[in-house]
Amino acid sequence: MIVANYLTAAALFCFGLYTVLTRRNLIKMVMGLSLIESSSYLLLISMAYRRGSTPPVLLNPPHGQTVTGLAKGNVADPVLQNFCLTAIVIGVAVTAVFLSVAVRVSQHYRSLDSDRMREMKG
Amino acid sequence: MLAPLAARLSKHLAFVSCIATTGGGLAILVILAPTVFSGRELTHFLGHWAPFSGQELGDTFGADPFGLAFALAVAAIGLLLLIFSLSSLLDLGRRELGAYACLSQLLIAALIGSGLTADLVNLFVWFEVAALASYGLTGFFLERPLALEAAFKILVLTNLASFAVFIGAAIIYSDHGALNFGQIEQALHGHTRDADLVALGILLAGFATKAGVIPFHGWLADAHTAAPGPVSALFSGLMVNLGVVAIVRLSLQIFDSHTADPVLGLLTVLGAISAVVGAVLALAQDDLKRVLAYDTISQMGVLLVGFATHEAAGISGATYHLLNHAIFKSLLFLCAGAIVHATGLDKLSEMGGLARRMPLIAAGFVVGAASIAGVPPLNGYVSLGLIHETLFSHDRAAYVAIVVAQIVTVAALARATYLAFFRRRTQRLPDLTPLHPGMITALVGLGAGCVGFGIFPYEVLRHIVEPAAGGLLASNAYAAGVLSAGAHLPIPAVNYAYFSARDFLTALGTLAAGLALAAWYVRVPEPRPITWLRALHTGSVNDYASYLTAGGIVTVAVLVIR
Repeated sequence: MIVANYLTAAALFCFGLYTVLTRRNLIKMVMGLSLIESSSYLLLISMAYRRGSTPPVLLNPPHGQTVTGLAKGNVADPVLQNFCLTAIVIGVAVTAVFLSVAVRVSQHYRSLDSDRMREMKG
Repeated sequence: MLAPLAARLSKHLAFVSCIATTGGGLAILVILAPTVFSGRELTHFLGHWAPFSGQELGDTFGADPFGLAFALAVAAIGLLLLIFSLSSLLDLGRRELGAYACLSQLLIAALIGSGLTADLVNLFVWFEVAALASYGLTGFFLERPLALEAAFKILVLTNLASFAVFIGAAIIYSDHGALNFGQIEQALHGHTRDADLVALGILLAGFATKAGVIPFHGWLADAHTAAPGPVSALFSGLMVNLGVVAIVRLSLQIFDSHTADPVLGLLTVLGAISAVVGAVLALAQDDLKRVLAYDTISQMGVLLVGFATHEAAGISGATYHLLNHAIFKSLLFLCAGAIVHATGLDKLSEMGGLARRMPLIAAGFVVGAASIAGVPPLNGYVSLGLIHETLFSHDRAAYVAIVVAQIVTVAALARATYLAFFRRRTQRLPDLTPLHPGMITALVGLGAGCVGFGIFPYEVLRHIVEPAAGGLLASNAYAAGVLSAGAHLPIPAVNYAYFSARDFLTALGTLAAGLALAAWYVRVPEPRPITWLRALHTGSVNDYASYLTAGGIVTVAVLVIR
């Protein structure tokens, strides 16, 4: 059921956002952002889904089907899957930056509590 | 990109290669400029994947006058900022210099790309490139605890924003199968559904975070405080404009006529709140860079209000102000950075009497502040005059808000200028580090920009700003252009009288009122409402993320309910 996918994506997003808004531990915030990220992957893949569709691959068509038949037929949306790949790549890079900052924070403050880092305010 | 490698050979080689590539980019844009500003939109399909029966699959780049004006400003000011920062960083090690040059060039490239792209996902990619570069630059001096703190805040908030942009783009694509701006615009004609409005709300929230519009602004002041001066100039003068440019494209060129009213109303309200609250917060700061950062928030609000008028004169004024803001805010941040470089002071309460010791920096700062204040021969006078004039006949409530914001802005900058440069100083200053020639070049160049844009208003209007406004208003022509091999955009004629009595009196009035407010403010203890406002900025990244989320929900709700 594709609706279940959407509901799961929404639930993941809400968990992630709740974590970012309420947890003070930096690592937990990064985990929350990762949850939001994974919810977006699930959402995109589900949006690309068509009932009974074939993968958007035109090379080596399965037995009894031709390339033009595949291209004109029912294909899952390759653009959204492509988005998803892009997002995964960017997500990895951003998480790496995040964690490197978290490591420096823990070295400097000897703590991962974001409430300790509130020197700039007002 | 090769700067870190070049820096391994020699610091000067890295410097030269960096300046040469940015200068080369600027030269290419300048060569394009006469064609584009004569009202011709240039389109390039990446990999020559031209549209097929109105459907475009590949990335599209479309140079319309508005985008090109932004790209030119980024390239020219970015070049000056690179000259400034690299010459002041020559004392640092090779690795630092190379990394810094690489990150700033990445940011400049991303901003130019975002100005010229005509594809929603490509815009997201440029957004993300700019975001990654900005994380690196904010946390560049990672040994400073402030930089760590600011880097974490900008990471969390910008990351949420980039999800918003991403999801918004995906919803629009799955609804219409279109990513090319022109194709989306044509698909939306008469078929705007609630899902599109949700997507628009999410996209606006994401880009408003980049633009630092209240309530999405939590990262901005902190990132500016912690970063070195030229980086703040890069962020404030150039990077925040990415958000504004994207918002303007979305609300004027893509979601045009049929949904315009609620979107423009929303932008006016957000802009007016940002303008006033940002200015008030700027008045209350003790850190010089925070004064300027909150003023950026205020100026972004003014820009949004100007663009949301949807009138040729208002949009011209806002475009003009966008360019002006890039020039004078970079100048002010470079001055602030030069003060830190020379004296090591960053608090207004510790400064004072700097005018005698640093006359060039004092002159630069005064020119920048006077430009924002709209003192007649300088550039702010023209753009603010156009915005005020349009609002006066168009939307009185917004007019009042913008004039109040202007008065408080004048007061905030006058207070900062007085406290830093002209107050009598009691203790001796520490020994000053002299300025490098590169730093002086950049300061003089930006100061000349402030004066030049102020004394040749008709040339700037006719050759840059009016074509830009025309492209923004003619959304159909723009859409057709990015779906074919370019188009002719109409150029509206904007009536502007330099010596109109009302402009002149408004400028004088806001100046006098602002100076009076500043004179009063430096004598009294902090008023209670300002203390409350500042207490809302708790410094906790969780709170800032909550403001952002709440702002996003309200934005979507307003658009869907109408």
